Amino acid sequence: MTGNLFIDSLISIGAIALMVLVARLLFPPPPSAVTEAEARERLAFDEPDFLTVRWLIDRQGRAAVAEDAAGDVALVFRLGLDLVTRRFPASAIQAEEANGALIIRPNDPGSRKLVIAADGAAEWARKFSAAHDIR
Amino acid sequence: MEFPDIIAFAVPAFLVLVLAEIVLSRIMKRGRYEARDSAASLIMGFGSQIAPLFGGATVVGAVFYAAYELRLTTIPNTWWAVALCFVLDDLRYYWWHRISHERRWFWASHVIHHSSQHYNLTTALRQTWTGNILGQILFKTPLIFIGFHPAMVLFVGAINLLYQFWIHTELIGRMGPFEWIMNTPSHHRVHHATNPKYLDANYAGTLIIWDRMFGTFIPEDDAEKPRYGIIKNLGTFNPLVISFHEWIGIARDLFKSKSLKEALGYTFGPPGWSPDGSRLTSAMIKERWRRIHADSPVASSSSDASAVQPAE
Repeated sequence: MTGNLFIDSLISIGAIALMVLVARLLFPPPPSAVTEAEARERLAFDEPDFLTVRWLIDRQGRAAVAEDAAGDVALVFRLGLDLVTRRFPASAIQAEEANGALIIRPNDPGSRKLVIAADGAAEWARKFSAAHDIR
Repeated sequence: MEFPDIIAFAVPAFLVLVLAEIVLSRIMKRGRYEARDSAASLIMGFGSQIAPLFGGATVVGAVFYAAYELRLTTIPNTWWAVALCFVLDDLRYYWWHRISHERRWFWASHVIHHSSQHYNLTTALRQTWTGNILGQILFKTPLIFIGFHPAMVLFVGAINLLYQFWIHTELIGRMGPFEWIMNTPSHHRVHHATNPKYLDANYAGTLIIWDRMFGTFIPEDDAEKPRYGIIKNLGTFNPLVISFHEWIGIARDLFKSKSLKEALGYTFGPPGWSPDGSRLTSAMIKERWRRIHADSPVASSSSDASAVQPAE
């Protein structure tokens, strides 16, 4: 490197851009949809004692939500090639229904709003709201 | 004896090796790359080089200078002193690294390095923006205080860091007798894995002997492929979130603490600690994994992670 912070920074940024570009060209973009099989497999790894009794999966595969026998709820959504899960008591979920979709807002830093458009979304939203109100 | 800035010399090699790994991963269909994940890792690496310029390097330098002025003895700058310093620094690294996993204050900085679900050479460069000040002062100052020159301590630390670059890859399998003494890609894959059987293992920097000595060594099991990341994986590639999410988590927990004991537990307890046990520490996750395996004859007959799927 040159010893000049500004020039070294520009060189580093250029090198980063080159590496990311090559990675982008040689590796195809990740799938965008969450499938039930993938969600099930990931949840089993992250939360092996989560005994799923029912799923709600977005028609476009944007996210999925599962409920277990004990009333806990798991969210599953995609980040790049991988899936990310979050587990909560039902009472901790902030959810609403809009245009036939269940809207969930996780509260951890950087989390985005999850939209799950599927039959039964309204029922799930009602259930979460009731659990949240009881808390 | 001069101690060159070997990190600066190594930067071009980082670029060449990352590009080579991307191409080889594609050709060999081994290892994974995702452009946004790599971008996040590389930006974190870039930021980690800039961050000390905002005062941290000055603070650390002042403490090192003071420690050297008060040193117990003067160790000469010779080849044997460099070798001795390297080994002692590697032992220092083991304990710093272990504490970085076992105490949330240190984890808040170190979690950045583990926050990718990928394991490749760009992951090696995913480094903290916040963790160098206290860690260096607490763990490197003793070496200077006993008489090693600060430049030598920084030099061997840089060698240690450089060594750890190449072990962040899935392209290299097992390495035979080399693995008895040295940290290798296989050993370090275990360290980055979130599989319960692999948690809290292989903290070594260069020499794996420390893990063998202190009971934290776990070999890679061919039947259980490591799955990388953290227990609660991030839902974003945003470098600011990657850098500060755990600090934000600590602040939130402190805000809702009901006592000093709770506040201390949230800050300096194991990551995942909570007063009511509602969150999981790694010890609790391992215990859950053992319980599930013990309860399930099918699961206990296989070490494959998929065997712990809930019965439905």
